[in-house]
Amino acid sequence: MRNAFPPPARKRLAVLAAVILLLLAVNLAVPARKVRPPLTARTLKDLAELATVEYEVTKIVSYKDVAWYGDRKILFETAAVVKAGIDLNELADQDIRLDGADAVVVTLPRPKILLFNMKPEHMREIFNESGILRSDFSNEEKDGLLSQGEKDIRAKVAHMDILERAARNARILVESWLKKMGFATVKVAFKAQGGRS
Amino acid sequence: MKKLLSVLHLAALLAVLLLLYNPLAKIGLLPSLPALFRGGATAIEETPVIIQQVKNIAQMFTQTFYDEYVYDTGLIRTPAFSQNKRLIFIAKGEVIAGFDLSELSEKSIIRRDKSIVVKLPPARILDVVINPSGFETFIEEGEITFEESKKFHEDARRIFERNAREKGILRNSAEQGRQMLEKFFRLLGFETVDIIIPASR
Repeated sequence: MRNAFPPPARKRLAVLAAVILLLLAVNLAVPARKVRPPLTARTLKDLAELATVEYEVTKIVSYKDVAWYGDRKILFETAAVVKAGIDLNELADQDIRLDGADAVVVTLPRPKILLFNMKPEHMREIFNESGILRSDFSNEEKDGLLSQGEKDIRAKVAHMDILERAARNARILVESWLKKMGFATVKVAFKAQGGRS
Repeated sequence: MKKLLSVLHLAALLAVLLLLYNPLAKIGLLPSLPALFRGGATAIEETPVIIQQVKNIAQMFTQTFYDEYVYDTGLIRTPAFSQNKRLIFIAKGEVIAGFDLSELSEKSIIRRDKSIVVKLPPARILDVVINPSGFETFIEEGEITFEESKKFHEDARRIFERNAREKGILRNSAEQGRQMLEKFFRLLGFETVDIIIPASR
């Protein structure tokens, strides 16, 4: 071997070997980047929200990763519970007007989505396949795809009639409670955007 | 001999490139090698959202508990010749407590002139929320199946609920509910307001 290569080639190979050894040492010395987990932030906070409607929705989350060296495909069945209603913190003193002893007018805040919940037990992996040259879907990737599904459900639910139903139910609820309390005439209205309706 | 020399040079150069790339990937300046084989940007396909059920509810949310928790499965030993597993993730979410007002009946509200007595059901945990966007994988070793990961996520939800209970979410929820309703009834003109809330279990 000593005489197999001409001296310049031997020199080049020796330099390359030295470089490889040096880089190998650097590789071993550099630790993998680890983001420090955030500190636990536990907080209790007061709420004053009245949820009046609950929607249960489902969505198929599907992803195809097509490449010349092989494909990866995955399919999930997901479900979410969405609750909407009114935030009573937005109810001001002037929003309740008494008219004598047995008549009242209540102006409620506009309804909004109060809660969005995608429970893990309601999710199912239906299909998962990767080509021989492709790595399997990691847990992190699956979470990423499900997060996209979550985002899509949030966007689409906002365009459903959930807020109209929440308003209708809130009106019925408040009217019935006030009547139980002895008010003969009850009027429930909703605040308009930037005013009242 | 020249051919062998060229192959040796090529192999050495490839090794140099690989060894130059790897530390940069380790410190996060370049994507990791497995990530290169996973493909580019991920975007799910367009599918509809289908309504399965619509329910009329009457739930009063009076307390929320935000939590962040680092969940470590520990080393999960697997049979010989397969890599041991470990998953560490950060879960972020909230626990919501309050009252289910659909349990109120005619007898729950007693009015006498300017006095009112309201009997509420006990405050309880209404929802534990950790959505997919609330999970962040920190370390993933070995092949963790979706079902295994689901079990760990469900366990994280149980931990959130336990932490919230330990922090006194039900006691605070009952107190906030009492204050909120008292204010509401006083605005309705009642001078004496009595809110009765049984202790939560």
